[in-house]
Amino acid sequence: MLIEVARVADIADGGMIAVSVKGKEIVICNYEGRFYAVSRACGHLNAYLNSGTLDGYILTCPLHFAQFDITTGEALSGPVPPDPDPLHATADLKTYPVQVKADTISIDI
Amino acid sequence: MNPAARKKALRYFFQKVVDPLGYKFTPDEELAEFCLEQEVILERRYGVPFCPCKRITANRYEDMQIVCPCIPFHREHFDAMKRCWCGLFVHKDVVDPATLKQVSEKKFRKG
Repeated sequence: MLIEVARVADIADGGMIAVSVKGKEIVICNYEGRFYAVSRACGHLNAYLNSGTLDGYILTCPLHFAQFDITTGEALSGPVPPDPDPLHATADLKTYPVQVKADTISIDI
Repeated sequence: MNPAARKKALRYFFQKVVDPLGYKFTPDEELAEFCLEQEVILERRYGVPFCPCKRITANRYEDMQIVCPCIPFHREHFDAMKRCWCGLFVHKDVVDPATLKQVSEKKFRKG
């Protein structure tokens, strides 16, 4: 089900915003004019990723610097320094299909 | 975590650092892939992609000087060789990296 979440003008190139849709916390990222939606909680310890940094397609967590590929949700690296607790393994982020029509960004949930 | 995806990410970050310094990734793809693979392993262990060809001493000041790409810390030495110590990065004008010789830092300092 497509749900409108933002306007194209709301997110500058290289920027991101957090939205809450149907109880899900999601970050919308603008990577060179293309929009990607991933879960807002870091796959390591659930820090809010929209407070991190987006460099190209790589989203870095503000808390322990785990990095994720926003196009696939894949965890690219774990926390720094490495977390010795196996229970804190870094999980991939959930991704959501994004549709842009005219100046409206919608997410399929 | 997928090592191939991490290698791609390291390439992305390193490119931004070495390009303004006048360096590029070596055209020797096999060497580049091998070095990056070792760095992914080191990063997983230490949290930092250390140079795979230098010794980690546990002295923070020294170790921070071998975080890849370590070119800014060894600029004169690497510029003289036209490559970094590993050979992962070479001067932009280098076409055949096999012709570049490794010169130890000691020898380089002696002239």
